Amino acid sequence: MATVVSAGAPQKQHGEKHQDDGAKRTSDAPRVLRVFRATPFTYATLIVVSAILSTPLVFGVSIALSSDQTVSTNAFTIFPSEFRWENFTRVFGSDLPMGRFLVNSLIISVGSVIGQMVSSGLVGYAFARLRAPGKNVMFLVVIATMMIPTQITMIPQFILFKDLGWVNTYLPLIVPNFFSNAFNVFLVRQFVSRLPSELDEAAMVDGLGFFGIYRRIMLPMLWPVLIAIGIFTLTYNWGDFMGPLIYLNDESKMPLALGVQYITTTGVAGQPPPWNLVMVGSILLTLPMIAVYYLGQRYLYEMDISGGSAGVK
Amino acid sequence: MAMSRLRRREALWFYAFVSPWVIGFLVFLLGPMISSIYLSMTDWDSFTPPKWVGLDNYVKLLTEDPVFWKALGNTFHYAAISVPLGLLIGLWLANLLNKQVRGRKLFRTLIYLPTLVPLVAASMAFRVVLAPSGPLNDVLGWVGISGPQWLLDPGWVKYALILLSVWGAGSATVLLLAAMRGIPQELYEAAEIDGAGPVRQFWSITVPQLTPVIFFNLVMGLIAAFQVFSQVYILTPKASQPGTYNASQTTVPYLFDQAFSYYHMGYASAISWLLFAVILVFTLLAFRTTRRWVFYETEVK
Repeated sequence: MATVVSAGAPQKQHGEKHQDDGAKRTSDAPRVLRVFRATPFTYATLIVVSAILSTPLVFGVSIALSSDQTVSTNAFTIFPSEFRWENFTRVFGSDLPMGRFLVNSLIISVGSVIGQMVSSGLVGYAFARLRAPGKNVMFLVVIATMMIPTQITMIPQFILFKDLGWVNTYLPLIVPNFFSNAFNVFLVRQFVSRLPSELDEAAMVDGLGFFGIYRRIMLPMLWPVLIAIGIFTLTYNWGDFMGPLIYLNDESKMPLALGVQYITTTGVAGQPPPWNLVMVGSILLTLPMIAVYYLGQRYLYEMDISGGSAGVK
Repeated sequence: MAMSRLRRREALWFYAFVSPWVIGFLVFLLGPMISSIYLSMTDWDSFTPPKWVGLDNYVKLLTEDPVFWKALGNTFHYAAISVPLGLLIGLWLANLLNKQVRGRKLFRTLIYLPTLVPLVAASMAFRVVLAPSGPLNDVLGWVGISGPQWLLDPGWVKYALILLSVWGAGSATVLLLAAMRGIPQELYEAAEIDGAGPVRQFWSITVPQLTPVIFFNLVMGLIAAFQVFSQVYILTPKASQPGTYNASQTTVPYLFDQAFSYYHMGYASAISWLLFAVILVFTLLAFRTTRRWVFYETEVK
């Protein structure tokens, strides 16, 4: 099959965008090594696997487009056989608070993202550049905290927020993000360490204070890592289920991730949940994540988290 | 003198800059951890004052609570299959995508897409996919297999959860594919000249070169799998329902139930420390055995 293609199979650079469908580059191409030759079997496997992995997605869309009768008789088809697009507007109608869920998700996620970006930037910069007694020990503590599972602190934190009267508000889900987290601090520190230090030294000579250096010199250069942190924080909080489940009881305060599950538990006894509307909710929950990934991809690659060996080497 | 004043100013700014982390560490981590140790040695319903019971909670968990052991066993079972299986499939797919395939980007996108679906949405989709007359059993029916009741069958529910986890093998695929592209081409060229076939090259070059990444993802994957919660909570019947035999109960949902359904705050805190111990032992064990099978390039001199 595609054996005419060029040589450039795996190379040091990540820039696979440029070499994807390598057919354009047949000139000066030595033959492809045998390991990199795609056989019909390669294609067959990839097609079958892609099809299997896509089935739940296609099925979900098909259910989202089903009529209420189809839901009550459980007569779904894998591929859409009816197209009730009105389901997508029905969820914003009076019978379901999906719009409210979406707004709640946005409030929680955006608040958390702002908190992490502001705090992790400051803390990470300080650990990378400023000198102070006790810094190294503190950084070891930062690293060590990454090993503590959240379940350890879950109950005392709940008690703390209950005593503060914050249960059934967004605050327990947003406020802790303003105090940075170890992984994000680590990312910023690594990022700043790779930046040339001449710039801030020059700024220092020019009489700029430490905060001025951070705000005027560092911050503009930190955007790639801050955006990556923003993406992680957004993804985590948008999809978080356990946090809202612990802290939010009112339907009107639930984010989409909890709300979608909630409406499957509250129907009339003996009736199946409105699966078509639940699936519309699931799609509304998923689409922003696909968009964020698509738009933010290059920042994630720039962070080189793609190699996945950040902490190991 | 001026220098030291500058130094002092720098140090003060350092403490100011890191103060968000310090406050967060004290208020949201260290304080709660200490309080959690204390709570784990009490009997407390969160309304009346806690009653000191010493190590009773731990003793009860380890010697008298069959549900805890069942939950722990299920968690191990789930982690021991889902994580290696996901990595193996990821390795296999990454190896295919690393070849000169046309439409690589499309395949990669289709394989990666499931990992972008939030767990709640994925659980919703799987609830219908795994229904007794759902599409999975339809497909199995075509090849003459009558599929199990998946989520409703105590013997199969764990495998249903494993299926959901393996659906996300795309994240391992993309990570391993990126790592594969970093393997020097010369290694394969040399092997080719020596007459090694593709399969031999895969096992003797690709896999050893990838072991650091595989290892890192194995450890992280196990830690995450030990803490599985949302899909278990959403997809499986509540443990209190008759006839479920706690077949799908895992550690964190059990902890959650104890804390927030039964208000056994002390007991739940003890569970969290045992979970921590398991994770810690596992992480240390994994790091201890690295030398034996992980290949780091720097070791070859």
